[in-house]
Amino acid sequence: MAIGLADVGLLLLSLAVPFLITLVGMPPFLRYLTRIGKVSTDAHKSPPARVPEPAGPLLFVAALAGELIAAAGFDSWIPLAIAVGAAAAFVIGLVDDLYVLGGKTKPLLLALAGVLFVGLVAIVPDLYQPILTFPILGDTAPHFIIYTLLAVVAFPVVSNAYNMMDAFNGEISWFTLLTSLALLLAVSLHAAYASGFSVARVGATLPLVAVAAAFLIFNRYPSRAFDGDSGSLMFGAMFAGLAITGGVEVAAMIAIVPAILNSFYTLSSVRGFVERRRMSSRPTYIGEDGLLYPSTEANAPNTLIRLILLSGPLGERDLVRDIVYLTLVACLFSAVISVLTWVHLG
Amino acid sequence: MKLAPLFGIETAAFLLILAETYLFFDVVVPLGSIPHSLAAYTGLALLKLGLVVGLIALWFVVMVGLTRLYTRSKVRSAPRPSS
Repeated sequence: MAIGLADVGLLLLSLAVPFLITLVGMPPFLRYLTRIGKVSTDAHKSPPARVPEPAGPLLFVAALAGELIAAAGFDSWIPLAIAVGAAAAFVIGLVDDLYVLGGKTKPLLLALAGVLFVGLVAIVPDLYQPILTFPILGDTAPHFIIYTLLAVVAFPVVSNAYNMMDAFNGEISWFTLLTSLALLLAVSLHAAYASGFSVARVGATLPLVAVAAAFLIFNRYPSRAFDGDSGSLMFGAMFAGLAITGGVEVAAMIAIVPAILNSFYTLSSVRGFVERRRMSSRPTYIGEDGLLYPSTEANAPNTLIRLILLSGPLGERDLVRDIVYLTLVACLFSAVISVLTWVHLG
Repeated sequence: MKLAPLFGIETAAFLLILAETYLFFDVVVPLGSIPHSLAAYTGLALLKLGLVVGLIALWFVVMVGLTRLYTRSKVRSAPRPSS
């Protein structure tokens, strides 16, 4: 794949515009949310703080702008397909933010978003290749039906996994930024080393990186903004869609191992899909010293956070730092897999 | 390095996901030629289903085992908030 100067300019534009929209648009949007009473309690502060939520609509607008630039600039349907998947997840998340959907309704609706996304293959035949590529072993044979079913399932699974990583100040923004960077590396290496791989797929990845990076400024400890389910589900859907269209499913799965583990622990301990706001007990509690402790209740959900806190109580900032370390390790594994898969010397 | 055991669990999850995804997509899915009788077709489908369930169960068993090991080692010395 040869990249011209115009391509580089378009890639920079796909990165800069969503970043600037989030950065410049967030303060007035947060003031607007506060004015209309859309504020949530930050339960992990003592005393609890009030934080504007959901910032998801602005994050969606910013990501959409980036995808539209990539679509128009590279004359490709791929960024539009990503935008469609993101829009579907965003709408589901926004409904959940406003009315709270049931624990089972949300995954079912997100599966429909997955159906909508893979349905676009009728319009865009090269939306995805029904193969997986492994390091050293190379490509598997194509399996269109199985791959398509898995792609549909990926939407609710990945979106919910991201949603479950949205419990503490800065957790979702750090997680999305790091995993989207791992994804960007994988897609870029795929684009660089596989002949005929469109640069538009790299361009489609950049808005996710940009929005996550800009949102981190407002979401890091102490948070001035919460994304809400509209933001976290959209992040997850974009990640799933980009992994599928980028042909980097294996590296993408590895990057989100902390979220996969977190979902596995939560779902296996509460035995099914339960909306987190309707769980009977919390996985952690705040001690009188202001530190977070693992819950000792027998029916408390067993999350990754609770496992981290079993080593000792932590402040919220230190806890998120530990999650960032776990995510960094997973992204490092993902990077190694990407290099071993795509980089061919000589 | 209090996160070391969790890094270990993460590494195990990563390696299992990698190996099992390959086994699923390159071994289980293309397993056998298309059978000509309904009985053989059903048998092959059930065999594939069993293998998939086995792969998922293996991941669950290893993850649950490692997590229990970790939890037991930590829960005895679980801290309590100072009052």
